[in-house]
Amino acid sequence: MKLRPFRLAVLGLSLLIPAALCAVVLFLVLYSGEAIFFNGLHFLTQINWNLGNLYGDPVVVHGIQVPPGANYGMLVFIVGTLASSGIAILIAVPLAMGAAIFLAEIIPQKIRPMLSMLVELIAVVPSVVFGLWGIAVLVPLIGHYLAPNGSGYGLLTASIVLALMITPIIASTLLDALLQVPKENRESAFALGATHFEVVAKAMMPMVRTTLIGGIVLALGRALGETMAVLMVSGGGLNILPTSLFSPISTIASFVASQLDSAETDPTNMSVRALAEIALVLFFITLAVNACAKLLTSGALRVRKRA
Amino acid sequence: MVKRYIVRLKERLKRQLAVYKPNAAWTICYVTTFDLVSFLLRSEFNKTLSTAGFHQEMSSNCNAITVAIVTWFDYCGATLGGLLPRRPKRVPFRGPNKRNANVKMMNLLRTGAAVLAISAAAGFVPAQANAASVPLVETGSSLLYPLFNLWVPAYTASHPNISITTTSTGSGTGIAQSIKGLVNIGASDAYLSDAMVKAHPDMLSIPLAISSQAINYNLPGITHLKLSGPILAGIYEGKITKWNDPAIAAANPGVKLPDHEIIPVHRLDGSGDTFIFTQYLTNSDKGWASSVHYGTSVAWPAVSAGIGANGNQGMLAAAKANPYSIAYIGVSFADQAAKAGLGQAELLNKAGNYVLPTPETISAAAASVANSTPADERISMIFSPGKMAYPIVNYEYAIVNAKQPSKADAAALRHFLTWAITEGNSMSFLKQVHFAALPPAVVELSKAQIAKIK
Repeated sequence: MKLRPFRLAVLGLSLLIPAALCAVVLFLVLYSGEAIFFNGLHFLTQINWNLGNLYGDPVVVHGIQVPPGANYGMLVFIVGTLASSGIAILIAVPLAMGAAIFLAEIIPQKIRPMLSMLVELIAVVPSVVFGLWGIAVLVPLIGHYLAPNGSGYGLLTASIVLALMITPIIASTLLDALLQVPKENRESAFALGATHFEVVAKAMMPMVRTTLIGGIVLALGRALGETMAVLMVSGGGLNILPTSLFSPISTIASFVASQLDSAETDPTNMSVRALAEIALVLFFITLAVNACAKLLTSGALRVRKRA
Repeated sequence: MVKRYIVRLKERLKRQLAVYKPNAAWTICYVTTFDLVSFLLRSEFNKTLSTAGFHQEMSSNCNAITVAIVTWFDYCGATLGGLLPRRPKRVPFRGPNKRNANVKMMNLLRTGAAVLAISAAAGFVPAQANAASVPLVETGSSLLYPLFNLWVPAYTASHPNISITTTSTGSGTGIAQSIKGLVNIGASDAYLSDAMVKAHPDMLSIPLAISSQAINYNLPGITHLKLSGPILAGIYEGKITKWNDPAIAAANPGVKLPDHEIIPVHRLDGSGDTFIFTQYLTNSDKGWASSVHYGTSVAWPAVSAGIGANGNQGMLAAAKANPYSIAYIGVSFADQAAKAGLGQAELLNKAGNYVLPTPETISAAAASVANSTPADERISMIFSPGKMAYPIVNYEYAIVNAKQPSKADAAALRHFLTWAITEGNSMSFLKQVHFAALPPAVVELSKAQIAKIK
C-alpha cells in the first residue's frame, strides 16, 4: 500500500480534538468523583454553598474527609446562568434580527460590506471590554434610574452585557443566511404585490429559520460560558435565588473563576473537587445546547412539508 | 515525493504572493498603525482598567487584557487590509480552482496575521525575569504584590546573582503552589490552618509585614460613624437592614442616620481581606462564629441587597457607585477611598474603645500580640487586647517550604527573606503601601523560622 504522509498527518491531527475532549471529560469525572459521591443528587437542588470552616479540623463524612460544615449546592448558579442567558437571548434576538434585516435589505449595496464587517468586528471584542463598559456605564445608570435599592449590580446588568456580546453573533449568521436567499423568491414575492415587510416576513424569514435558530443556540452557548464580563457586573449573589431583575446573581462559570483561589486553601481539597463537579455540570449544559443546535440546524426536527 | 511536495508548495506560494502583494503591504501598514495607536493608548487602557477594578493588584490580568485589546486592534487592521476574508458578494461566482486557492491563501495569511498580532501584543508585556544564577519565584496575595514589586527591584539591584519573579494570583493559589513546590514563596494574607500544617509539616508561615483593613461607608452627609463587630455581623447577616436601626443609633448618639436600606458589599474572589474581616466578626460576635465562621471566602448569608465585588478596587468602585453601601477595603486603598467620598468607620476594639485605623492604633495592635506570638508565628492579630489597638490588623505571610529543592535555592531564599524583614521593613517601602513594620520581637521569631529553610 502506498504511504500517504499527508493523509496520516491529517488523521492524527483530527484525532487530537476528540481525544482532548475525552481527556477533559475523563479528568473532570475522575477529579470530581469524591465530590459527586459526597454531594449526591442534592447538589443540583440545594441553594446553599458553604465551603465549611477551612481552618477547623477536617471531619469524616461517609468515609470522605471534608472541612466541618461543608455543604455544596449549585441551584443558585444554575438558575443564575440560565436566567441571565435567557434574558440576554430575549434582548438580543430582536436586536439581531433588526440589524440583519436592515443590513440585508435596506442599506445600499455599497455600504453593506463595511457595516457587516463592523458587526463582525464587534463579535470579536474581548468580553472584558464589555465588562468594563458594564461597570463604568451600565451599573451607575441602572443603579440610579431603575433599581429600587440603588444597586446597579445584578441580573439585568449581566443580561444586558451578555446580550450586547451575543447580538453580533446572531446578526452575522442571520445576515449570511438572508444574503443566500435566492433572488427569485424575493422577486416573485414582490411581483405578487407583497409589501417590503411581507417579503421579508413571509418570503425570506421562513427560509432562514433554521439558521436563525442555529445562530441563537450558538450565541446561547457563548452566553452560558461567559465568565469575566458576568463576574464583573453580576453582583455575585450567593445562597439566595434571584427574586427580581435587580437581584445579584452568580453564574456557573464566573463562580468557578471567583472561588478557585479560596478553594485551594482547603486542606481536604474537597472544595476544588466540588468546583470541578460544577464545571462538569456546565460542560453538560453547553454540550446539550450545542447538540440542540446541531439537531435544529440539520433539520432533523423539521416537520416535512407535504409535496 | 516529499521533495515534489515542497517544490509544488513553493511554486504555489510564489504565485499567490504575487497576486496578494499589494494587499499584504496594506495590511502591514494597517497593523503597524493600529499597533502604534494601541501602544500610545496603553497607559490610557491601564488607567481605565484600574478605575474599573483592576488595580496593580491584578496587573497580570491587566497585561492579558492589554494583549487582548491589541490583538483585537490588529484583527481590525488585518481585516481592513483585506487579509481576512470578507463577506462574499451577492453573486459570488468564481472559477472552482481560483476560489479554492483564494480560501487557502486566506487561511495562510490569516495565520500570518495572527502570529504578527500576537507577537506585537506580546511585546507589551514586560519581561520580568532575566537570566541569573538563582531564580526565585513568588506568587500569591494580591495585597502583598505591590510590596513585592517595590522590594524586588531594590533587592536585585544590590544582589544581581538572584532573580525574583513576582506574580499576583491570590492567597489560596500562593499557598497551594508553594505546597506543590511550584514556587519558592507563596504570599498569603492568612496563615496556614492547623489541618494544613498537619498534612504538610514542612511548610512555614513567616510574617513579612503588617497590614490592616478599613470599614468604609457611603453615607451622604455623615462623616463620623461608630460600628462594632456585632453591628457589622448583623448587617452582613441581614438582621440589620436599615441605617437607622436601633443598634446603629445606640452606638452613634447624636448622629442623624438615614432611613435607607443598607447595601453590604463583600468580596467575590477569595481574599485575605475577607479572611480578616470575617475573623473580626467571628471573634467579636458569637452568632457569626457559629453560623458563618471565617475563611478567605465564606458562605455569605443571604442578604437581598448585598452585592459582591472583585478585588479591593472593585469594592471601592461598588461602594462609590452605590450610596448607602458599606464595604471592607484594605487600608492601602485609604487615600483612594477618601477621594471617592467614603467615610472610615471607628471600630469597637476588645478594650471597649472606638478606634480608627491610624499608624498608632495599628502599631498598638501589633505590639499587643508581639510577645504572645508563638514560635511558628501562626496567630491572629484580629481583635487584639491593646487599649487603643485597631481590631482588624494582620500579619502578611510568606508561605515557604522548609525543604527547598537545592542548597542554592535555600540560601537565596534565606537571604531574600532576611533582607525583607530587616531592610525591606523600612518605612520607605512600607509607607507606599500603608503597611506597618514588624515589631522587633517578631522579627527575631521570623529569623529563627527562616533559619529552618534548608
